Amino acid sequence: MNPDLIRQTRRDFLGNVSSGLAGIGLSKLLSNELRAEAITGPHFAPKAKRVLQIFCPGAASHLDLWDYKPSLIKYDGKPLPGEENMVSFQGKNGNIMKSPWPFVPAGQSGKHITSMLPHLAKHVDDIAFLHGLHSKTNTHGPGCVFVNTGHPTEGFPAAGAWASYALGSQNENLPTYVAIQDVRGEPPNGKANWSNGFLPARHQAMTLAAHRPIRNLTRPAPISSSEEAETRNFLKILNSAHAAERPQESELQARIAAYELAARMQLSAPEVSDLAAEPQHIHRLYGTDSSNQLKSAYARNCLLSRRLLERGVRYVNLYCASRASGVDGLLNWDAHKTLRADYDRHCPIFDQPTAALLTDLKQRGLLDETLVLWCTEFGRMPTHQQGTAGRDHNPDAFTLWMLGAGVKGGLSYGETDEFGRRAAVNRTTVWDFYATVLHLLGLNHKQLTKYHNGFERRLTDVHGNVIREVLS
Amino acid sequence: MKPLKAMTVFVWAFLVLIQPAVADIFLAEVKPILETHCLGCHNQNTKKGDLSLVTKAGATSYENDIFSPAPLKKNLLLRVISHQETAPPEMPKDRPPLSPAEVETIRNWIASGAPWPEDARLKEASKAGTDWWAFQALRQATPGGPSSIDEFIHAKLEAEAIKQNPPTDRRTLIRRATYDLTGLPPTPQEVEAFISNSDPRAYEQLIDRLLASPRYGERWGRHWLDVVRFGESNGFERNVLINNLWPFRDYVIKSINDDKPFDQFIQEHLAGDAIAAGNPQIEIGSAFLVAGPYDDVGNQDAVQAAQIRANTIDEMIRATTEAFLGMTVGCARCHDHKFDPIEQADYYRLYASFAGIRHGSADWTTPQEKSNYRNKVEPLNDQKKALETQVERINETVLSRAETEASDYEAAWTRPKIQRTGIEDTFPPIKVKYLRLVSEGQDVNPNNKRNFNIDEFEVWSSAPAPKNVALASNGATASGEARQIEDFANAYDAGLAIDGEFGARFIATGGTLTIKLAHPTLVDRVFFSSARGERVPTQGKFTFVGEYRIEASLDQENWKTIATSHDRQPVNDAFRNHRLRQAALRKSERQELKRLQKQLADLNRKLKSIPRPRTAFLGRRSDSEAQNPFHVFQGGDPQRKGRKIVPASLSTLRSVTPTYTLEDETPEAERRTALAKWITHPKNPLTARVLSNRIWHYHFGTGIVDTPSDFGYMGGRPSHPELLDFLAKQLQRSGWRIKPIHKLIMLSQSYQQSSAWNEAAARVDGNSRLLWRFPPRRLAAEEIRDTILQVTGTLQHRSGGPGFRLYKFMQDNVCTYEPLDHHGPDTYFRAVYHQNARAAVVDLMTDFDLPDCAFSTPRRAGTTSPLQALTLLNHSFTMDMSLAFAKRLSGGASTEAKIREAFNLAFQRAPKPDERHSSRALVEQHGWRAFCRAMLNANELIYLD
Repeated sequence: MNPDLIRQTRRDFLGNVSSGLAGIGLSKLLSNELRAEAITGPHFAPKAKRVLQIFCPGAASHLDLWDYKPSLIKYDGKPLPGEENMVSFQGKNGNIMKSPWPFVPAGQSGKHITSMLPHLAKHVDDIAFLHGLHSKTNTHGPGCVFVNTGHPTEGFPAAGAWASYALGSQNENLPTYVAIQDVRGEPPNGKANWSNGFLPARHQAMTLAAHRPIRNLTRPAPISSSEEAETRNFLKILNSAHAAERPQESELQARIAAYELAARMQLSAPEVSDLAAEPQHIHRLYGTDSSNQLKSAYARNCLLSRRLLERGVRYVNLYCASRASGVDGLLNWDAHKTLRADYDRHCPIFDQPTAALLTDLKQRGLLDETLVLWCTEFGRMPTHQQGTAGRDHNPDAFTLWMLGAGVKGGLSYGETDEFGRRAAVNRTTVWDFYATVLHLLGLNHKQLTKYHNGFERRLTDVHGNVIREVLS
Repeated sequence: MKPLKAMTVFVWAFLVLIQPAVADIFLAEVKPILETHCLGCHNQNTKKGDLSLVTKAGATSYENDIFSPAPLKKNLLLRVISHQETAPPEMPKDRPPLSPAEVETIRNWIASGAPWPEDARLKEASKAGTDWWAFQALRQATPGGPSSIDEFIHAKLEAEAIKQNPPTDRRTLIRRATYDLTGLPPTPQEVEAFISNSDPRAYEQLIDRLLASPRYGERWGRHWLDVVRFGESNGFERNVLINNLWPFRDYVIKSINDDKPFDQFIQEHLAGDAIAAGNPQIEIGSAFLVAGPYDDVGNQDAVQAAQIRANTIDEMIRATTEAFLGMTVGCARCHDHKFDPIEQADYYRLYASFAGIRHGSADWTTPQEKSNYRNKVEPLNDQKKALETQVERINETVLSRAETEASDYEAAWTRPKIQRTGIEDTFPPIKVKYLRLVSEGQDVNPNNKRNFNIDEFEVWSSAPAPKNVALASNGATASGEARQIEDFANAYDAGLAIDGEFGARFIATGGTLTIKLAHPTLVDRVFFSSARGERVPTQGKFTFVGEYRIEASLDQENWKTIATSHDRQPVNDAFRNHRLRQAALRKSERQELKRLQKQLADLNRKLKSIPRPRTAFLGRRSDSEAQNPFHVFQGGDPQRKGRKIVPASLSTLRSVTPTYTLEDETPEAERRTALAKWITHPKNPLTARVLSNRIWHYHFGTGIVDTPSDFGYMGGRPSHPELLDFLAKQLQRSGWRIKPIHKLIMLSQSYQQSSAWNEAAARVDGNSRLLWRFPPRRLAAEEIRDTILQVTGTLQHRSGGPGFRLYKFMQDNVCTYEPLDHHGPDTYFRAVYHQNARAAVVDLMTDFDLPDCAFSTPRRAGTTSPLQALTLLNHSFTMDMSLAFAKRLSGGASTEAKIREAFNLAFQRAPKPDERHSSRALVEQHGWRAFCRAMLNANELIYLD
């Protein structure tokens, strides 16, 4: 591969092709421009066209949600063999602590998951659980950024930005990549989780939620529609005259096109956000009518996610919970001290709306082309933190799962050891995870690169193997 | 093929007989093959498949599979590198297979018993060697060859048979030059004066004027801040704003305005505190070291903590080598650099140079100011201590007296002590509408009456079938000052105390919880808690009341106490003693205490009023941390220590730049000083090349090397290598001052030519790397905002100081940044003075590719997106600016004149007839605001020819 070719900038591209631009429609022109920076396009026929990535920040416990370990019950209160004096993120650890809730078999597959997620239990036969994950970091910020960008330091593009970069938009009237943050605030490390990193700014996620419209979407209040139309018309006269004198500068044409796309987005975005257009039974399915305001807020975001995916948004990052507040485990899944009370609060918020979203995607046939990912940044310890009834951070074992387009359901890949302390069988990295995600999107993870400060950077760093076992 | 093969076998057979030569053939033929094809994965660090081929010993676990010749067919190594029927060879993975000849060499080597001299170590060669162009000494221009910028440029153009454009027009030239040097548009008057100036030196005078403008340092300082990844929050999970790093930004702007020699400037970045200790103006340069992101979350896990510390040093190494040397030394953290001749040891030589740096604030003041402060504060602190001793003594006296009567007091404490898991108070039935809990002390601190937690507060009706009338579901409401999070309202509100659930708690900050019942009700019992059902209620998050009273009211004005904790056993010794002291305190003692407290308060006020010596985010220096013996971390893992390392120069430039090696005991400051001197040594070819290239890059949009921070194998190749060295030499000759270099470049024809398109030239060189035209460009994020402010007449100039913010900063342990919907006049400064936080988004500037300062940004992206249009059309900033612009135009002149003025201000030209016509039409129909809003959105405003 010629590195100089890879590094072609948009201007390089335009410089070389601009002589043939006359007659190309404006939006075509802009999408050409978009493609100039999307260096690959799919490498082979994709299984998935869109991605929904659900993220539960705070290190949602694999041992209390997905990864059933009978030994924690059997040895509850006993020291963890070989790790009696373990010091982890917040300090010393006590003895083994069983999950406060029983695990129950679900679905045809009989997969045991926590009894706290009865709605999601109905979907286990569609899910491929990855139990062998392990991380490089035990800190939330770097952990979240790692799981979103493949690098534990911030500044790298998120998976959604890579998808936008590689594949571009499916519906130019809507953003390509959307991040939906929780009503409780941003996840650890905030906007670094949906950043474009060193990719051009257009690949950043647009933030949007049921409780937060797209910024600057509507024209300022005092401006009438006729003033708006006349102003835009005058602007077009100015820009056309300016461009006419520089017929080869297609960047100028592209900016004219961008204004027209913006106008279309102003019409499309409110439509997609209009949840009132959904029938009552759908609202009930998601739980937008719940008296638990955190649950109803998340449910609305789930419903919004479906509407976005349905209309061709390429990548949706949906968050359930937010950052570390002054009180551990209050705003997110970081149950250091009071696991029972914390998850009694978080599970009901998460369960029904997420399950409804899966049901709804399925019943509309959207799962055929939509890949659903469930993520968190790392796992938790099988022991309790000394002097508490919660678990500390565990970077050595956690669970992620995927479902939908191209994924074999009812499957568990990888295992942790007897106590869930460490990934043991088919150990899996975040890079393997994304190698697989990109594969499903028709991309070879080793070929999706962008030069940055000395390196052809990848979502999978210099690692990653496609997990063939989960492909359908 | 066949005879050759036979020949090889013969040679091998021959060599096997002569043992000493076998070692040579291994070194000469086998080793290079293994190094080229296998070592990329099977090295000591990566060890794919648990196999390292660095030494024979590293392959022990595979010994029989690899080194055993019999049977040859089953040899693992041979099998994986050979074609298997139709399948391609298994190894090397994802790389081209070995050539048949190479496979043959391996086969013969194995057949002869796979001899491998014990001391032979395999080493993967980097793609580029020390003979790489960038690592050679600066070349003198060839005598008789090109000797000016234009001669170098024209020579290449001629070689491609392309002609350079003619000079551009005067209006375009002043616009180009003014933006280039100041980041702002010229005023209409400046344009007019320049166009009508017939002095042949008018253009040179223009450059001199622009270089002397304070706006120049703001523009080129901003470039430099990109390069040194300057950001004013620490990034990572907490991402806290750093409010005293701005002096570094001011230092950069001032240094560039002063045309400070860059070798000195760079030395100050690395070691200003060492070179000029006690001189704040120079010490501040070394804030460069800590101007990057760093993880400040505490980590008790020692392995992780060591890794985080290594990451922090790594950030400094990358920032330093990329900014000054154009070298990606960071890639040598885990192994020798794969592409450039940078040893892993080189990386750790720098590690040993920076290991004494910690992030943080430090005094930023002269020794004189420091001792002045001490002299003022010390006597007051002595007085304070004396007063505190007196208070303590009285307290002790009172308590010991009370102890003698303690049993009398204790007899009244009959009820059980307060429990966080829940306590009950019963009282005679009383009709209440309002009921409140009033804290008289927090259970961990009797003096804190404001803070406590309640997970549930129940109020039970007095009835045959009592019910909890405090429940929200029964119509009650709760109130009380609570902890606030700005971006998540009601996170800890009083409502959580009556929601019927125990998980979430009301976090009181005002000392009371008031419950309003649905209607006046007869009640006789309350039950409340902070840790209901919790196994470990002692945790900090469950702090509770340690003394309280419960009051009732019907009108919220007349309150009656219906229960207290005073008859309970004290919750702990602190409360017991507190109670005893309160009971035994005599009037005279009370008065004496009051007097002492007042004096203490006065003293504290006085202390507070003495201004503290200034601090800045200079980082802290630790000699002890710098002097640990340092090691290579194998695979980049601090737990795997390899060979010992001392601070030293990089081996890469060994043959062109004088080297240095320091002792293990060398003090921290000397390590950085030595590095700074080495980087700026006249014989270091990289520093001058990299800096010259950056200057070129900012003038023409693309550098002679188009990867300004990477001159290695992965970077771009120079389009004009001789010109680059010519500029680097000029830079050194000008004493590392860059203003003469600007002038040199801007006076060239290549710079002054037009940007017109030339079809024939474009076919050869589409993006004008050879400079057949001046490359047009879009303004950068800051320029766009600054331009809007300038054109509308709202831009205010300032002389540094703390930055302004276009986001709302919120902190609740970690920090959140929300872009502002309204930007007031207190933000109408140049964008270089914006307090850029990491992982934050601000409208307009982020849309136009203001980079996140997580990394150094050697080159800005330039994107076009609908988001830009939305922001620039709809954000209230555009509305405010449109109104300001309209106001600026209302000088009482005619519509025609105002339209002309607007075009002159925005585009530095008069409107054309049809533009005049449509402007007029819009103004007449929708007024000046509409017209101005369109002007501020026009392409011409943000594109330069």
